[in-house]
Amino acid sequence: MRTNRLLPLVTAGVLALAACGGGDEVDTGGGGGGGGDDVLVAAVSAEPDQFDPHVTNAYASFQVLENVYDTLVVPNAQDLTMEPSLAESWTTSDDQLSWTFTLREGVTFHDGSEFDSADVVYSYRRIIDEELSNAYRFETVADVTAPDPRTVVITLTRPTPNLLEQIGAFKGMAIVSEGAADEFDLQSEANGTGPFQLESSDANSTVLTTFADYWGGAPSIDGVEFRYISEPTSALTALRNGEVQWTDNVPPQNVESLEGDDEVELGSVTSVEYFYLSMNYDVAPFDNRDVRRAIATAIDRDEVTQAARFGAAQTNQTAIPEGSPWYTDYAPFEPDQDAARQLLEQAGVETPLTMGLMVTDEYPETVAAAQVIAAQLEPVGIEVEIQEEDFATWLARQGDGDFDAFMLSWIGNIDPADFYENQHLSTGGSNYQGYENPQVDQLLTAAATEVDPAVRGDLYDQAARIIVDDVSYLYLYNPDEVQAWAPGLTGYEVRADAAIDFENVELP
Amino acid sequence: MTQLPTPGAVPAEPPPAELPPTRTARPRWRETLGLLARNPTAAVSALVLIAIVLVAVFDETLAPDGPNEQDQSRALQAPSWGHPFGTDELSRDILSRVLLGAATSLRVGFLSVAFALVVGTLIGLLAGYYGRWVDDVLMRVMDMLFAFPAVLLAIAIVAVRGAGPTNAILAIGIVYVPIFARVTRASVLGVREEVYVRASRSVGASDLRLITRHVLPNAAPPIIVQTSISLAFAVLAEAALSFLGLGPQRPNPSWGLMLADSRGFIDQAWWYSVFPGLAIVLTVLCFNLLGDGLRDVLDPRQRTLMAGGGR
Repeated sequence: MRTNRLLPLVTAGVLALAACGGGDEVDTGGGGGGGGDDVLVAAVSAEPDQFDPHVTNAYASFQVLENVYDTLVVPNAQDLTMEPSLAESWTTSDDQLSWTFTLREGVTFHDGSEFDSADVVYSYRRIIDEELSNAYRFETVADVTAPDPRTVVITLTRPTPNLLEQIGAFKGMAIVSEGAADEFDLQSEANGTGPFQLESSDANSTVLTTFADYWGGAPSIDGVEFRYISEPTSALTALRNGEVQWTDNVPPQNVESLEGDDEVELGSVTSVEYFYLSMNYDVAPFDNRDVRRAIATAIDRDEVTQAARFGAAQTNQTAIPEGSPWYTDYAPFEPDQDAARQLLEQAGVETPLTMGLMVTDEYPETVAAAQVIAAQLEPVGIEVEIQEEDFATWLARQGDGDFDAFMLSWIGNIDPADFYENQHLSTGGSNYQGYENPQVDQLLTAAATEVDPAVRGDLYDQAARIIVDDVSYLYLYNPDEVQAWAPGLTGYEVRADAAIDFENVELP
Repeated sequence: MTQLPTPGAVPAEPPPAELPPTRTARPRWRETLGLLARNPTAAVSALVLIAIVLVAVFDETLAPDGPNEQDQSRALQAPSWGHPFGTDELSRDILSRVLLGAATSLRVGFLSVAFALVVGTLIGLLAGYYGRWVDDVLMRVMDMLFAFPAVLLAIAIVAVRGAGPTNAILAIGIVYVPIFARVTRASVLGVREEVYVRASRSVGASDLRLITRHVLPNAAPPIIVQTSISLAFAVLAEAALSFLGLGPQRPNPSWGLMLADSRGFIDQAWWYSVFPGLAIVLTVLCFNLLGDGLRDVLDPRQRTLMAGGGR
């Protein structure tokens, strides 16, 4: 399973690695509820690196923090549109440069203190002033003020239509209590407003207990234990024999057989993650658009998806999954080896040519997919040399531009800006392939400040089509988010953004 | 042959080649082969190994499919007439990949042992023949190499030099150098003081002539045995390195890699791990049994017994 999310995967990996350097002592979090018997045991694949929501980039941490912290707004489970959470309502000024949020009353933190606007200002200022992981989400924010305890005003330097997504898409933008960073060791402790509080964490598991004064009503279970089981087959076995009641660590090859299984309940939804292949614009002949298009034409996405995910995925030639309101229905490439050969001829390159394809065993499905791609490209005259690296080397080579091509995934999140800006703007921080198209730059920049959702969607649509046509990324598929739980467990919903929310769960 | 030698108190008996020719007129190698043929285990092992080598040589003719031929509609199929060993998760024919993997395993095995044999024997010869400081220096270096667990040392070498078949050969080769050096040295120490060597030296034979004509041939039997046994371990080490992703790279077929890939499917596709595993077991077992047989045949004492009993 992936270890990171929300920040595009690769960056997240670097930061998570960096974070691992510090010897974070994990001690038991303070106080709180006694241990009842009605505890949900959840098997997750990895151990959280730390619990500071504003610092961590690890998906493993957010799996836990999702249940501990709240944000002003939150994506709903069905279509990921933004709903009230700690903010009850909000209004925007006519010039779109000022957003006013009215906060919920009667919310308390786990330590008993009252939640008010000062906590919001403190949390956002901490992210901005200390330049923490998600500071870039506040790029257009000029100021955050609290005119009274129930009101927060965010003023902007330019219209930001996706402000709600920026501040609510995930718990990296969580509200902590004022002064929390001084009062608590946020690396190992937490003081949120969520339904569960952080009780303890060690090398085997993280334990949460129910927060009785939760503003949404205390959960019916007594707590959650996240147990780390990295081997998917072991996690599944643990679920089968009742050791755990829930897991997201389901081996893809087992999904089909589990569907008819009475001992296991299966939930699956197409996620906002996308796998892609990227070619280096600084390395000939991959700087040639026809060569890239030849490769895009030679690849049969159905076969790649079948091999990599055993069908538990949706093939896609763009980034955003079908079903999202931002989906671009565009699939210009039909697998056709003759057409691919023709394109190579047209490009005037000599075949057979060699392409190094960098993958990492950290994400085994890329290794499987690469072998299928190698087999598909061989008959058109492209010898694929699969370079399997450990993730650290992989990241270093990507950063240095030392590759012909590589494969990996990003978790795109909700707003289309999260899918395209960083990767395809010529100045984008994750534009490792070196893509430069003034038209795309212009479209993406215009879309970022466009207030009318219809016009904005159209701008992203146009940009996406050019990106696909140029093969800045060769998009492959959106994997399914597959989770499994014990029969009889109710109140749980698999979400496309892979957030794991146990608030309403009831055990059998 | 008036008395049978008793184990433990054996007089330094000259090897058979030095016996008067009245004892046997057959060339030594034919006699060895004859004796080997009479040892059923060794004979069968040798035959199986010959078959494996033939498979490795004619792999592309024998394999029904190419190593990477895929057709996603037939992924993870159980063994059938069309695919006697079944198919893997990328729908490749496992029989073809096991056959094609033989070449990889044997090439790495043979070349690495050849490297170890040449370098190790040379070091052992020098150390054993010249003794004193030459012996001290060379054998202390060998001891240092020997102190590392074999696979760990191989992994370290590959980690430094990068993954790939060539480096795997080098790594496994280096690991086995000290073993050959030790075996050779021990054997040479025994031979060095033999009467025929001293006689030869007393009439003015050069060191080179002594080593090549008298010492090496008579010190050879344990080295030959060691070669066969080392081949078994080299094939196993190759599989281990491949399993860890340090040998041949995907999608090239290799038994260790196939085992590594099959781990996630062990509960759904037993054939995926069983057939590459059997290939490794069979090859390693045969090299080991052949080594045992060779030891029996080449050991002067045993040989005398066997030859005597066979008459």
